[in-house]
Amino acid sequence: MVSKTTQPERKKPATSDVVGTAILGAVGAFALIMGFGYGFLEEDGQVGPGFLPVITGAFILAASLTEIARMYLAHGERSTSSFMGLAETVEEEAKAAVGRTGEPDEEEVDTFGRTSSERNWAIVKVFALLFVALLLIPVIGLLLSLTAMVLAIVLWVERKPLLPGVLTTIGALAVAYSIFVLALGVPVPQGILGLI
Amino acid sequence: MLENLQLGFETAVSPDNLLWCFIGVLLGTVIGMLPGLGSATGVAILLPVTLGMEPVTALIMLAGIYYGSQYGASISSILISTPGDSSSVVLTLDGYQMARKGRAGAALAISAMSSFFAAIISLIGLIALAAPVAAFALRFGPPENLAIILLGLATIVSFAGENMLRGIIMAAVGLLISMIGVASGFATARFTFGSINLLSGLGFIAVLIGLFAIGEVLHQIHRGGEKPIKAGFKDLIVTKSELRRSFMPAARGTGLGFALGVLPGAGATLASFMSYGVEKSFSKFRKEIGQGAPEGVAAPEASNNAAANASFIPTLSLGIPGSGTTAILLGAFIIFGVQPGPLLFEQQPALVWGLLVSFFIGNLFLIVLNLPLAPVFAQILRLPYSYLYPIILFISLIGAFAIGNNTFALWVVLVAGVLGYFMKRFDFPAAPLVLGLVLGPLLEKYLVQTSSLGQGSWSIMFSSPIASVFTTGAILALIGPPVAGIIRRMRNSKKSGRTDKTRV
Repeated sequence: MVSKTTQPERKKPATSDVVGTAILGAVGAFALIMGFGYGFLEEDGQVGPGFLPVITGAFILAASLTEIARMYLAHGERSTSSFMGLAETVEEEAKAAVGRTGEPDEEEVDTFGRTSSERNWAIVKVFALLFVALLLIPVIGLLLSLTAMVLAIVLWVERKPLLPGVLTTIGALAVAYSIFVLALGVPVPQGILGLI
Repeated sequence: MLENLQLGFETAVSPDNLLWCFIGVLLGTVIGMLPGLGSATGVAILLPVTLGMEPVTALIMLAGIYYGSQYGASISSILISTPGDSSSVVLTLDGYQMARKGRAGAALAISAMSSFFAAIISLIGLIALAAPVAAFALRFGPPENLAIILLGLATIVSFAGENMLRGIIMAAVGLLISMIGVASGFATARFTFGSINLLSGLGFIAVLIGLFAIGEVLHQIHRGGEKPIKAGFKDLIVTKSELRRSFMPAARGTGLGFALGVLPGAGATLASFMSYGVEKSFSKFRKEIGQGAPEGVAAPEASNNAAANASFIPTLSLGIPGSGTTAILLGAFIIFGVQPGPLLFEQQPALVWGLLVSFFIGNLFLIVLNLPLAPVFAQILRLPYSYLYPIILFISLIGAFAIGNNTFALWVVLVAGVLGYFMKRFDFPAAPLVLGLVLGPLLEKYLVQTSSLGQGSWSIMFSSPIASVFTTGAILALIGPPVAGIIRRMRNSKKSGRTDKTRV
């Protein structure tokens, strides 16, 4: 009787990882198609403006599809005999050691006191604030919109006390104004209000 | 050579350059230390601040941030087990273990001394090799230049290791981003979708600020911040035994780091992992490594510093960046109207030799700063990230605007930031993307010229010995690792098959 070979269990890839790689593959396919539209080769056989987009797009598409296949088929086996294998083993050990301070984790709450889902919300909030700040530039100007963004992050996202929050915001504004406006003379947009 | 060094010395010791070199290494130490910043982010954010300076002064300061951050990054790895930069990740193993055993001061001192030792040795190598490589590269025509760019891209992809496929994707995405706008050598607008803002392409610095600064901030929020300092330290005195045990690992680390740093794309992070792996496999004290051995601090620390300096060889002499951060520095050169490459040493001797000599001065500043003042720097680690990152966002965005006085750049930063965040989250390497982005226009320029010279025939890539060697090297670098992996897997499965049969 032949004994079963002990293969490492296949890990199911994260859906978001697969979707992200698939999006990149779609970008590659898009570049490939657009590249042919720009002209792959000239009449005399020399490269045309679409040559590089086609080749690059093909590389992205092929590598993305192979990567997706690898995610589903890889057994998680790792060879440490190769040159890169040595570095990869150390990398894994080091990554596992990062942040491991030898104290038991009480919960999944981080040092800001946030849970995993609260952290995800914090990212969404910060991104939304960045987006709104950029939309506000034509109205209140670059410096004021970014100042408002800093204040909103410190008070709303990070829930810091009012006084340190305001002081941080004023400090950030003062530093940016001194360097970029006073020292470098950058003409920052002042918006419709025209304040600073 | 001596004349050049004298010229470089005269440039580097001017009061302005000395001051900005000091500020650069000081900021670099702080930036390297703070988790979530790192050398690439630091250089990208502070590049706009240098716009009003003389090119040589600005480059001295920006380079100071780069190698200064190599020193600073190790402080946070040793004290809070959280690296300030990817090249110091490995120090969280033995550096932090030494700190837990009450040898934090010694670990910091070994780290600073190994860094300094490696920096000086590698700088001698850099000065000895950069100019001859540049002189040799003067013989290159379009096919040779094209072949060497392909080799650079292939090397960085192959050094992405298990992530090779992701490396390929990222390098290609970088190339694709660089193609937005009017094609070089043609009059065709590509991927502009009718937008006037896209005609001149995406701002290089805006993309980098988004990728590194915004992406890193979002990633840090996702990770959940850093733990406060747990390890205290009393003194920086290293015992004789620790010093003796550190010397050879530092020397080996320097050699390995330099060799890997010269290769485009290999970089300081890989060098630190490799040298740690070598010590763990071959050191006399290998059983202690991982539990707080000085070898585990000295080797990777020397290695990453040597690699950081060596990566300037391809950057300065060939115009091909050796790492992610030197790619950003290469962008800085171009912004200041200086084109790195073979002609740099002939056309800008004061700038290039001044920069090289400033590396020595900067490293002297760093050893003086890091040995006695490491405890002072460590206090910066107590700065809460909740207050720090909104300021990073503020400075990043206004900096991106300042490069071209254009608000469109801010939207580019935002989009690149989201891309950078997802890249970090799903482990897509950033260095190949940056290299693709930087090398894209050059690649296309030489591609068009080579195609024209060869009248459409690709045999021109093998027309000269130099082009043949580089082209073959590029092909091997790209297909070698996967082919070797397939062969290894086939051998392993054969072996396991034989073992199973013997068990019957």
